Amino acid sequence: MPDTLRVAGVNHGFKDLEVLKNLDISVKQGEFVSIIGPSGSGKSTLFHLIGGLLTPASGTIEINGANAVGRRGLIGYMPQAPALMPWRTIEANVILAREIAGKKDRKIAREWLARVGLDGFARSYPHQLSGGMQQRVAFLRALISDQELLCLDEPFSALDAMTRADMHRWLLDIWEANRRSVLFVTHNIEEALLLSDTVYVFSHRPATVLEKITVPFGRPRRAEVVDDPEFVKLRRRLTDLLTGVPS
Amino acid sequence: MTYKKWLPPAITLILLIAGWQVYTTVSGIDAWLLPSPKDIGDAAIEQRDALTTHTLATVELTLYGLAAGVAAGLLIAIVLHLVPFLRAAVYPLLVISQNVPIIALAPLLVIWLGFGIAPKIVVIVLVCFFPVAVATLDGLGRSDALIADYLRMSGANRRQLFTKLQWPHALPTMFSGLKIAATYSVFGAIISEWLGSEKGIGRYMIVQKSAFRADRMFVAIVIVVVLALAIFGLVALLEKLTVRGRRHA
Repeated sequence: MPDTLRVAGVNHGFKDLEVLKNLDISVKQGEFVSIIGPSGSGKSTLFHLIGGLLTPASGTIEINGANAVGRRGLIGYMPQAPALMPWRTIEANVILAREIAGKKDRKIAREWLARVGLDGFARSYPHQLSGGMQQRVAFLRALISDQELLCLDEPFSALDAMTRADMHRWLLDIWEANRRSVLFVTHNIEEALLLSDTVYVFSHRPATVLEKITVPFGRPRRAEVVDDPEFVKLRRRLTDLLTGVPS
Repeated sequence: MTYKKWLPPAITLILLIAGWQVYTTVSGIDAWLLPSPKDIGDAAIEQRDALTTHTLATVELTLYGLAAGVAAGLLIAIVLHLVPFLRAAVYPLLVISQNVPIIALAPLLVIWLGFGIAPKIVVIVLVCFFPVAVATLDGLGRSDALIADYLRMSGANRRQLFTKLQWPHALPTMFSGLKIAATYSVFGAIISEWLGSEKGIGRYMIVQKSAFRADRMFVAIVIVVVLALAIFGLVALLEKLTVRGRRHA
């Protein structure tokens, strides 16, 4: 079984600005992988490369074992902001990716909305929902796009701490019941450790992998894991890496 | 609309008309200079048959012209949006076209197109296409970049980007332009009828002006205003039925 995502030796830049340098990342099937790094370290550029909006200057990108350079429509994507269409109901928003692929099916949308506790909102419009609820809809839209690889680009960065903790629980519950391969970008160390199987730490621009950390906690994962001494040690280690303190 | 919204302007209007009536009665001003609201009402009742014929002719002309103008505006907007090169080449000319005085152009149109309905429709189209074209073009070009990225990464092609994002996004702006066009259309029809026609409120105005019938002129003005309001209302209703769940950021 090939890895769901394999990024190998990717370099990319804009004009004289070098953004990504010799980047290697892989996501195995059913694995939750986070990328953590300083702001402006080119994480969004990486998503645009994986999503086929940009073509890397060099290197290879493979999804499910096939060349994915410049190819679109291979990932389920969740952007930083919910990016829902204000003129569509929640149900019609959630089905969007499938609709593009020509597999529009309202029944699936309704089933999923019910399964993740959003069934009361199927006929609502996005502006009637809170920010956290909108993000849930955006996640569901990526999830039911029917792609093996989900790319989540700092999805919770705009939420307050309480809503964010709720979202972590919600996301873990859904994901642990429906294993997909996830590539998750974040600034938040605790979030990365709490959710992931593997964490890649990116350097400042040009971004390269400073370290690949395997998170040693099993599934299903509970919120109490943050008090585990091992968790605290890893958090310290990541903080040092990101702030440039030599270890 | 609640009574809180329409009551204040209604009261203002009633007070204005009452003041007008009082002024004309007290000052004893000649009716051919300034008729009283009562004179105007009497003239409307006396002329109702002729007015009905003329009004219907104007309504017909207005609706044809508006439809053609909106179609032209939408076509221009969509073509210019899809072909950026054309947009750069043509957009400034569109703006120039709006600076040509219609009154000056109208007689030329008659010379070129004759006395039939064609030059009249062209006048209305010239008045109506611009607000629709500019508003729609604007709306098409300003859709959410984040949603566009999302759609592209999900594999959307250009046609899907247009039909699923840009067009629905442009609808509210398009309706703003449509409302302006709707109010202009009656005015365009009146001007086009001045060019020479047998029927229509514009024709009626010309005849009454030469007869110094100020009371009948006022009746014609009221009809024009009511027509414009009615068409505006129709567009607003259409907007309410098509544009859903908006008003986000």
